[in-house]
This record gives sequence, C-alpha cells and structure tokens, in this order.
Amino acid sequence: MQNRANYIQVECEINGKAVDLLVSPDRTVVDVLRNELGLTGTKQGCDDGNCGACTILVDGKAAKSCSMLIGQARNKKITTIEGVSNGDVLHPMQQAFIDHFAIQCGFCTPGMIMTAIAILNENPNATEEDIREGLHGNLCRCTGYVKVVEAIEDARDKINAGGVN
Amino acid sequence: MSDCEKTNYIGKSVQRVDVYEKATGKAKYFEDYQVQYRDLLHVKVLRSPHAHAKIVSIDASAAEALPGVATVVKGSDPDIAWADIPYASSYYGNPAKDEVIWAGQAVVAVAAESIEIAEQALELVKVVYEELPYVVDQREAFKADAVSVTSPELGIAAGYGGVQPEGPNVMGSYKLTHGDVEKAFAEADVIVEEEYQAGKKSTSQIECNGSIVEYHEGGGVTIITNGCGVHGVVKNHILTMYPQLSSNKVRVIQPVTGGSFGNRLFPLVEPLAVLMALRTKRTVSYVLTRKEMYTSSPSNWPVYTKLKLGAKKDGTIIAEKLELVEDAGAQIRGYFDGRLSSSGLMCVYNIPNVQCDSYAVRTNTMPCAPYRGLGCAESEWAMENLIDVLAEKLDMDPLEIRLKNILKKGETNPYGEKVTSIGLGRCLEAVADAINIDEPCQQDGGPWKYGKGIAAAGKQNTPLGRAEADCLVHSDGSIELLVSCDEQGMGVQTTLRQMAATEFQIDIEKVKVTRADTAITPYDNFGASSRTTYTTGNAVIIACQDAIDQLKEAAGRKVGLAKKQVTIKNGKAYFVGSNIESIDIADLYEPFSFFTQQTWGLLKGTPVRGRGVFCPAPAVEWFGPGHEDGRTPRMWNWYQYSAFGAEVAVNEETGQIKILKLMSTADTGNPINPKLVEGQIDGGVIMALGFSIMDHHMFQDGKMMNPNMSDYRLPTTLETPLQKNFMRAILPDPLPDGPFNAKGMAESIMIPVGPAIAAAIYQAIGVRPTEMPMTAERVLKLIKDKEASDAK
Ligand code: FES
Ligand code: FES
Repeated sequence: MQNRANYIQVECEINGKAVDLLVSPDRTVVDVLRNELGLTGTKQGCDDGNCGACTILVDGKAAKSCSMLIGQARNKKITTIEGVSNGDVLHPMQQAFIDHFAIQCGFCTPGMIMTAIAILNENPNATEEDIREGLHGNLCRCTGYVKVVEAIEDARDKINAGGVN
Repeated sequence: MSDCEKTNYIGKSVQRVDVYEKATGKAKYFEDYQVQYRDLLHVKVLRSPHAHAKIVSIDASAAEALPGVATVVKGSDPDIAWADIPYASSYYGNPAKDEVIWAGQAVVAVAAESIEIAEQALELVKVVYEELPYVVDQREAFKADAVSVTSPELGIAAGYGGVQPEGPNVMGSYKLTHGDVEKAFAEADVIVEEEYQAGKKSTSQIECNGSIVEYHEGGGVTIITNGCGVHGVVKNHILTMYPQLSSNKVRVIQPVTGGSFGNRLFPLVEPLAVLMALRTKRTVSYVLTRKEMYTSSPSNWPVYTKLKLGAKKDGTIIAEKLELVEDAGAQIRGYFDGRLSSSGLMCVYNIPNVQCDSYAVRTNTMPCAPYRGLGCAESEWAMENLIDVLAEKLDMDPLEIRLKNILKKGETNPYGEKVTSIGLGRCLEAVADAINIDEPCQQDGGPWKYGKGIAAAGKQNTPLGRAEADCLVHSDGSIELLVSCDEQGMGVQTTLRQMAATEFQIDIEKVKVTRADTAITPYDNFGASSRTTYTTGNAVIIACQDAIDQLKEAAGRKVGLAKKQVTIKNGKAYFVGSNIESIDIADLYEPFSFFTQQTWGLLKGTPVRGRGVFCPAPAVEWFGPGHEDGRTPRMWNWYQYSAFGAEVAVNEETGQIKILKLMSTADTGNPINPKLVEGQIDGGVIMALGFSIMDHHMFQDGKMMNPNMSDYRLPTTLETPLQKNFMRAILPDPLPDGPFNAKGMAESIMIPVGPAIAAAIYQAIGVRPTEMPMTAERVLKLIKDKEASDAK
C-alpha cells in the first residue's frame, strides 16, 4: 500500500554488521530498528525526543532514535543495546546497572545504558556532575536517579581500573 | 552460618530475577511482540477537541472506504457492549455515543493495515459537535448551581456511600463524626484554619499503555497487555463487556511491563482492541501516544481541602474539622466519595474529635484513576502544612508537635481502628536529625534563600479482594510459583521468590516465579494500594505450606511415620523417630512407564501442587446500621508510614526551588529485600519532587495545554540532589499479620515531600504555599504578594 517508488536505500553498520535497507524516507530510526530489524531492545516512550528511552549510539555518540529519520543513519555506525555485550559477557555498564539495583521496570534502562556509555566515551573520567548533566535527557519514573548515577560511577571506575572494553 | 540462616532470604538484598534480560534489551514488553505478527492491524483514535459537546453527527464513510482500513468504530455501533457502562462516558476507552464530556475522549476509532493509513482515515472523518457549557475547576463544579458535567437528561447515578448528590456533579460523599468537634473547638486555646489545593497530574510512566489482541478462529482472543490485573481487571471487564466471549476463550498475558503507579488500574485500551479483533478476525495492536497518555488516560484526582485544627496550649491537638473534595474527572459513575483521600487525614494523628465531610465531584477533565498514594499526598498536603502553622502559633518546633500528636501502637485512630504497626516516631526523628532541623540555614545575602522543613505521612492499605498462588514442587525438587500479581517493576517476583525459598529452606536458585497469564496462573486482583507484598505474599506462604504439608505426608508414608515427624528443608525430607535420616524430595516421586498400573502417590512428571488463597479481612461498611457516624473498627487494613526532611534553596527573584539535601524514611514493616525497598524510596522521592514543585496539567479553554514531556515537566537528574545529599533509611515496625511481618511501602514515600518543601520555603522566604505543585511562577507570585502587603 506504500508507494515503493519513494523508498530510499540506506547502508549503515548496526551492531557491527553491515546493513542495507530499502525503506520509506519518512520512517524514524527507532521504527526501522524495532519493526524492520526486530531490534526491540530500543524502546520508545514519546515521539519528540523528550524521554530518552530510544537512545542509541551513532558513531559512539548518544542520539535519540525517535528524532532521527532513517536517511540520517546512512554510512553511520549504530550501536543499540543488543550490540553492547560481548556474547554472554556483559558490558561493565550493564553489569553495574544490575549490581547497583539501578533497574526496576527496565523500560528506560536500554536508553540509560546507551547514554551512560556515551558519557564515558566522551569523557572516561566523567565526574558525578558530568554524569548528571549527560543523563538529564533520560527520564526514569521508577528508580529515580540515585542508583543509576551510582552504577555509572562504578562502571567508570571499573573500566578505568581494569581496562575493560 | 547454619543451613537455616543460609536459606533465610528475608531481609537480604537478593538480586532481582529479571535484570539480566532488562539490561541486555532481551526483555519483551507488549509492544515487542508486534514484530511477531506480520498481519497486524493498528488502531488510531479521533478524540474530542471539546471539553463538553453533543455529537450531532459523524460521517465516517470516506474513512471506511479508504483502502487499508479494516474497520471503523463509533459509539453508536450496535456491537459496542455498554453493559454496565454509562453510555455517555468513555471510562473504558470506547468511543462516546451522544456526548463527549472531556477534551481527549474517544469519538471514532479506526483499525488499518498501518498507523499511517489509520491516521489518514481519521482525517477523513467529519464530526459535527454542538458545544455545551463545561466546568474544569473542581471548586466550581462542586457548587450547587454548577454547570452540569453531562447533559442532565443523560441521568446521573446517585451518590455513592448512601448519600444523595448535593449538586449536579457530586458523585458521592463520605462523612465521619468522632467525638464532639464543636465542643472541642470551644475548649481549644489555639485554632488554625486554611484552604489547600493539590493539582491534576499524570503518572507519566515511560512505557505508554497498550495491548495486542490476537484473534483465534472460533472467536477467542489472547490479550498481551501492560494493563494491570490479568484476571481481576482485564479479563473480568472483557467478559462483562463482551458476553459473547466465554471465559475459556479469553486469555490475558502480562509480559514484562513498565511502571503503572495506578494509572492502568482501569482497562483503557483492551476493550477497544478486543472489539476490533472480534470484528476483523485479525490481530490488533493499540498503543497510546504520549499525547494520549496525557489527554486520554487517567490523571490523579486533585483534592481541595478546607482544614481547621484546634489545640491546647501544650500542643495537644483536640479538634479537626475538614471538608474535602476530590475531583474524579469526567465519569458518570464510580466509587469515588472522598473516602480514599480523607483517609490520609485520619491515620497519622490521634485526634479525639473529628468531623470529616468529604465528597467526590465530576469535572469535564480526563477521568481519574489512582496515582501512587490514592489521594493522600493530595490531602495530607493540607494537614502537614496546617500543623506547621499551628506549631508556629504555639511556639513549638515541627518535630515536637508531631511527636506529641502522632498515633502510637495500640491506640485507636479516629475511625475506631486499633493501630497494630506504626514506626512513624522513629521516622520523624531520623529526618529531623539528618537535616539538623534545629540548626538554622546560613544565608549568603544573594538571591537564593535557604530553609529546612520536615513532614510526616501515613497511608492506608485498602483491603482489596483476593490473591491466589499455586506452588508447584516438581519431581526433581525444583519449585515454581504461579502468581498473577502485577510485576510493573517493583520487584515483587523477587520478593515472592525470597518468601518461597525461605519457607522451603532451600537455595533460592531452585525457585522460579511464573508471571501473570490467565491460562496458567491463578486469580489475583491487581497491584494497588501497596497490597501485593501483603496479599499475594500471604497467599504464597499459604501455598508453600500446603505443598510442604503434602510432601511431609508423602515422605511420612514412605518410612511409616506421621507427617508431624517430618521436616522439609534443603530439598530433603528429614525424619524424627526413624532409622532413616532423610530422603531427597526427588526420591519421593515414583518413576513410571507407559505401562505402569495403579500409579497412585507422587509420580515423576507430576508436581505436587500447593494452593494458597488469601483475602484480607473485609472492611466493615461504614454506612450500615450502627455505623451512622462513619466509624467502624475495620475501615482499612494496615498503615504504612513515612517522613521526609529537606533543605531547600528558593530564588527570591525567580521563585525557583532547588532541593539541596533530603532524607526520606519509611516504616515498611519488616523489609523483605532492603535494596528493592531503597529503590522504591528513591523513585518515590523523585516522583514526589515533580509532584510537589514541577508537574501538573494546565488547562485553557477546557483543554490540557501541556500534553507532552517537554511542557509537562518531570524531574531529571538535574533536579535531584547530589548523591551524598540524598539520604534514606528503612525504619520498620513489623506488621503482625504481614508475610514475615512485612507490609507494602511504596506509596507513603510520596506524601510528606511536598509539605516538607513548603515548610522549608516558609523558613527561607516567609511565604506559605497552599497550592501544589509549588512551581516557580506560583512561588514568585507569593513573593510579590508578600512584598506588596509588606509595603503597605
Ligand atoms: S522515544 Fe525518543 S526520546 Fe522518547
Ligand atoms: S526503571 Fe522504570 S522507567 Fe526507569
């Protein structure tokens, strides 16, 4: 029912795999990730970039995938929550969220973890204030932010101490 | 450590069962099931732009003709089973019939091959409305000569609670008389009185409400939903609304689910999605947008409270008079009568003379549902503020006056109930201590002024319905709990698992919890009023004990002993009075083949099934004979308590508030899992910060003006105090009838936050807010008003 003549081709890399998409240009990245590629770990809690649940990494930086059209993914390296762990070995950030009870309903969690990784990508020595500043676009209604910030600080210290990831 | 200590999981912060899948993105929420249905229909809904209007005509023919549209639903369609539902109202989310009574109410719904087609179809629908007078302000709506929320000819249900309506919009009322209030006021040395208002809010959980309804040939449906109460709410309502569905053809599954905080306690999306699935014989997905979450899913109920207190010189409060109105929004019928909100004003202090007149009123705004605290954060806002006013008049400090007047264990509250568990005194002392309430804040001469405040809170547990649990002991000795209670992130699966492992004295890894699915798990009502730990927890313990009893009997038979000589622990049956010391549970089950005959007793492959059913003792009706005064020895169940202290900065020039330091304490009963409790405290405090100083619905021309997450402002990391200044403590008073003496705790946390901040604001800049949330605009107005009156 959609007019395929308008479709655009988008080549990008998602979680380390080359992907070649042919999709309507008005689709958002979160929609394509979830509904075309079955990567449902990325969540959607709004449609205007205000909740942060849809956060992914684009070339290592945090981006809200509900506010990105699929064309903007062209030639980009995208990482979603599914691409964070190394097989069964969790990313230290995932492990820290678990260890610190920073997860309740978990709906905000993938977005939180992606933003947290991006914060440390940008500044491996991010302070508590830096972390708060970087995280303010991610809303959580269950956990508050105390245990989340605690988890990120712990992951930061573990990564810096052990050279993991 | 002895074996027994090792397998006592109570009070231990055992890791949650669901975090690995949540941290890796593997957890499947209802919407994640969409990809598995390639022929899904999507629902979109046209909503009323008017707060109140007659629907003159609807022309949906062009929408129906649009290719890709599968079905269009209007309120006048014959297959909308209104059953018990008032026909103008859309409480359960189906389109309105003759009249819309709030802006955001469903008018026409479309199911189509894609969201885009469904949206296109809605643009083709022509609706002619005739606008009618409306009322959104609850104080206006309460007046005897108010504009009626519905056309009077639609018929308004009589008041609930045995009291007839006193104006066109009064839905019900609850009145209580305890002692002689007028006499007590005459004897009081000091009297204070004020009016308070708490605003309209949305719980704003990050996962929007929705469900997928799969149609089965032969007319059955499977509903995958984030709605609450698979049995008690969703299935019950669907069977009532669609009598053509028999119970065995409706299956409701709750997958991993985002928080609800009370918002999904009424079925909102399921009825329409089921109707469309039945019509189209297809699988239907219906997900609310964020805007619809604000305009069309329930809000809290705002509360207006007029409160008067009388005290003796020594600070003893002897009289309380309250008039309270809760705003139930646009609903014709409902159970609202003011009783829930006013309960907050009768469970904290021991006041010998109380007159309570409480009401619920309709308005032309989105209908209400519970919001964490059931109206008590809204009503106790009045009490805690006025107590501070009283303390100042009496020259007492805020801690002293509270400690003097709070209920003590064994005392009787104004309802006539005996208090069995209250840890509030310690909670209050701890918050006062943590923020050094006696030490005044240093002022630095700049525009930011500093102050401190504390407040107390209590919240009843409504003795709701019944919980069941099945405990399966598989023939390899592993244990499976089947429960239908909601798991919306609170961690109840984990705490129930801890309880079961402790009952069996077994390694917790051997216990699994199977979540809500009406085809598998037994009845439970829903997660509300902090009931799950208590109600479902008690059912789980009973189920475990039943299974253990069966195992003891089977083990006893094996060795010729009575069951009382058998103990079950560590996956074994131990014997007293036998030369056999123990048998593995797994060895109690006989192996069998296809050809084995006479296979009585425990068999491999067939688990022992323990059954647990728990119902809290019922409330004694308060309007029946003998209870004309509204009092009863059993109104509610037990009470949870909390206290809060804050150090706050207020900007004199902008009205802005910053929370610098805070301490929250909770009387949780005996906590099953302290880290999970801490998580509830943290989340509750942050939610309450928004509730108190930021988020609320703003209306203009009868419409909500801020239905999105940038204009509806929610707390972020930036509004949260630094880690070292965010303090909390669990200070339990064990509940005698709670499972392992636990009680629920997640609601009371919310309640004292607003009033403690208000007290701090008063200390900082000398104005007393009476309206919540205390937004910067409102605080600035108070400052300006004060400047103007000081200048006179
Ligand atoms: S879904 Fe992208 S920010 Fe909310
Ligand atoms: S854990 Fe539920 S929204 Fe963050």
